[in-house]
Amino acid sequence: MAFVEAGLDRPNWLARWLQDHVRVLFFSLGKIARAPLAAALTALVIGIALALPAGLFVAVRNLSAISYSWQDSLQISLFLKDSVSAERGAALAREVRTERGVARADYISREQSLTEFRSLSGFGEALDLLQDNPLPAVVAVTPERQQPKAEVQALLARLTQLPEVDLAKLDQQWLERLYAVLAIAERAVGIVALLLGLAVMVIIGNTIRLDIEARRDEIEVMKLIGAPASFVRRPFLYSGFWFGLGGGLLACLLVTVATAMLEAPGAQLATLYGSDYRIAGLELADGLSLIAAGIVLGWAGAFVTVARQLVRIEPK
Amino acid sequence: MTELIRFDQVSYRYPGGQDVLADVSFSIGQGEMAYITGPSGAGKTTLLRLIAMLCRASRGQLVVMGQNLSTLKPRHVPAFRQRLGLVFQNFNLLYDRTVFDNVALPLVIRGYAYSDIGRRVRAALDSVGLLNKEKVLPLTLSGGEQQRVGIARAIVTKPALILADEPTGNLDPEMALEVMRSFQRFNQAGVTVLIATHAIDLIEALPQRIIHLEHGHITDKRPKAASRLREALADGVR
Repeated sequence: MAFVEAGLDRPNWLARWLQDHVRVLFFSLGKIARAPLAAALTALVIGIALALPAGLFVAVRNLSAISYSWQDSLQISLFLKDSVSAERGAALAREVRTERGVARADYISREQSLTEFRSLSGFGEALDLLQDNPLPAVVAVTPERQQPKAEVQALLARLTQLPEVDLAKLDQQWLERLYAVLAIAERAVGIVALLLGLAVMVIIGNTIRLDIEARRDEIEVMKLIGAPASFVRRPFLYSGFWFGLGGGLLACLLVTVATAMLEAPGAQLATLYGSDYRIAGLELADGLSLIAAGIVLGWAGAFVTVARQLVRIEPK
Repeated sequence: MTELIRFDQVSYRYPGGQDVLADVSFSIGQGEMAYITGPSGAGKTTLLRLIAMLCRASRGQLVVMGQNLSTLKPRHVPAFRQRLGLVFQNFNLLYDRTVFDNVALPLVIRGYAYSDIGRRVRAALDSVGLLNKEKVLPLTLSGGEQQRVGIARAIVTKPALILADEPTGNLDPEMALEVMRSFQRFNQAGVTVLIATHAIDLIEALPQRIIHLEHGHITDKRPKAASRLREALADGVR
């Protein structure tokens, strides 16, 4: 009889594994191609869910970058007693410059302060009403960048002790507040990413669950003719993979388009602040991470669902 | 003759508590062909399901192809089932795939190379006379042709044992006889065949060993055709 022939050799497990993965890869792609709209909608929902935390991440990183560039403006102002002479003040500035952790120290005399105030504040005429110059002489101290906060505080304490100094003020509080806000924002991005990551898994899980329900008979038949769990599971895992990949790509696209749309107004705002800062979009590495996150979430969401659903389907 | 299937005082009870099979003992030798007969609810299907590991015996020993099924771990069930050929009353084909893909499925599951699969599938389709239908979808075929696709799928892996549950239940007499003939041909090629059936006329046309079940027990009674059933009833009245 025709079908009675020598038994076939099975290829080794690696060849079998590869062959089946390639088969399912194209099979699952073909399935998506047959219902492109449904698949596109699922991918879009996932894309939006991924784009939200990614967009927040980009926003927080931009704010961090801006505030980091403001670190240059960090200054300790030493307001000198009125009794200190201009010569002594200049000498003090030189002495302070040799202190550990100090990048710069400049003496600003009372007259210089007055001139500066007159030209910058817009209250120059009000000063004319005063008989005396109300402004003290100042030594403006710029600490070295990237110092731990404690070091800067210690420097401030040391400078306060100087006999010539009336008052030492660290112009940092607002920056600290900004950092605190950014730290909260970063944490919030983490939380949002976690929640929306779960949402992605649920979305994909639900899509896969419906797919499993629709193909219940097929799964039963496959189990009947001896398909192992991995074989039955594989097409669904690949569906999750494709949804995750599509969602990740869409998320990248959404974030990139959004940053491109914000670029011009952002640049305008920066110009108003005298900065040439430009909004940084998603970098290549971030984009790849985002896509990878989509794939991992899609696959994991599918795996959890399939593992739970497939044991429930046994041939009758 | 080596034993391929051995039932040793096998009982099966539904989770509800009703006995479907009670103390069933028999054996089927390699290369044998047998009918399992009996009225509906006598346990024919359950008997086949036990052999195919679609359920587990409540009591007793069941050895199939050298494998003691009571010690078979669930994760080894798929590999065991791959060694059987199963044929169903409702065909159980995948209706969104071509005849070729349906028949190829057991080979794909086992991971054979595609070049080998193509040859094997065509040989199997040839042996059931459907070689020219490989590209069509099963729904465009008649019931008899669909069942032959199911048979091709069952034999494509060249199993030592074919189990068929009411394979002719949905077929007209002519197709049914053709299907039974193809089982007989496979049996002549050395395959062990076990068929659960109601079709008395087919059993009489192609006589083989009969295992007759009634109320979950094997009996020496023999199934009766409807025509003779009427005579028997008439005798009883008289």
